[in-house]
Amino acid sequence: MTESPSRLLEENPDAIANRLMQKAHNRDGLPEIASGLTFLTAAALMWLQVVFHPGSFGFEASSWSFILLGPVVGFGSPWAIKKVRRRFLIERVGYVELKPVNRERTAVVIAIAFVVAAVTAVAVMFAVEAAPPHAPYRGSFLSSSWMLAGTGILGGVLAASSGRSLRYYSVGVLLAAIGIFLAFSRVSLQMGLTILFGSIGLLSLISGSIVLLLFLRQPTEPAQ
Amino acid sequence: MSTKIQRLADIDRVIHEPARLMIVALLAAVEEADFQYLRQTTGLTQGNLSAHLSKLEEAGYVAIEKTFRGKYPLTICRLTDRGKDVLDRYRKIIKAAL
Repeated sequence: MTESPSRLLEENPDAIANRLMQKAHNRDGLPEIASGLTFLTAAALMWLQVVFHPGSFGFEASSWSFILLGPVVGFGSPWAIKKVRRRFLIERVGYVELKPVNRERTAVVIAIAFVVAAVTAVAVMFAVEAAPPHAPYRGSFLSSSWMLAGTGILGGVLAASSGRSLRYYSVGVLLAAIGIFLAFSRVSLQMGLTILFGSIGLLSLISGSIVLLLFLRQPTEPAQ
Repeated sequence: MSTKIQRLADIDRVIHEPARLMIVALLAAVEEADFQYLRQTTGLTQGNLSAHLSKLEEAGYVAIEKTFRGKYPLTICRLTDRGKDVLDRYRKIIKAAL
């Protein structure tokens, strides 16, 4: 048994279940592979926006695809992971049916996220527009460097906290380092974000593939 | 406070065992899960998990059903209503005492 008995008895049963399920969810590397592919797709779409001229069909198509990527992946990725596990990995990962999603709660979370994002965007625009022309932060507040470093660090923190294991911490540190490195280089914001998203995708894909291969090499035990 | 701690004496012994608490907590968080998923997630050996599941089934906290998914045999476990009630009571006692 990998859990400490004394720790278990001091913990809320819900917290025990969440911790064990998160560990099980990340065990085969599929969620990392899915997020890696998502970020690589996002990077490719951003790169297309750099290549095509604004107003061209390619630019419009890549822009709309980029906007739609989030919702499609958000709803499609858990479904695809479940299908792959049930089709190819059931002997190794077992069968589990999660509780149905609480639609009302999901709708509330989406609405809050939308409102927070909109208010933040308006507040930032207002702060930048309202600043005096020579305000010290006017030029640097949303400069490419700050955006790249911030996105890299934020991505690193999110990556580290999503798995809470050594491989996730390593990916998080690497992402923060790439973001800071890009901030000091002279790349444009669009190109910098493309490189950053591509790096996140590549790192996740490599890490997830290694985990999956190691997982598949483990011997299976006969089913009960 | 002391009465809250005294309530610990009423705690359900079947659920209070760490391995069984893991199993019940997991089953409470999902609709249903099979033996292999529980084994992988809890890290218990086959024999250990089997013994604990039998105890939980005897107590009426877990329902076990044997079925197939294609050629793959499944031992599906789910928490019964009684199991849910007992876990709920356990949760309240522990929360009050800690």
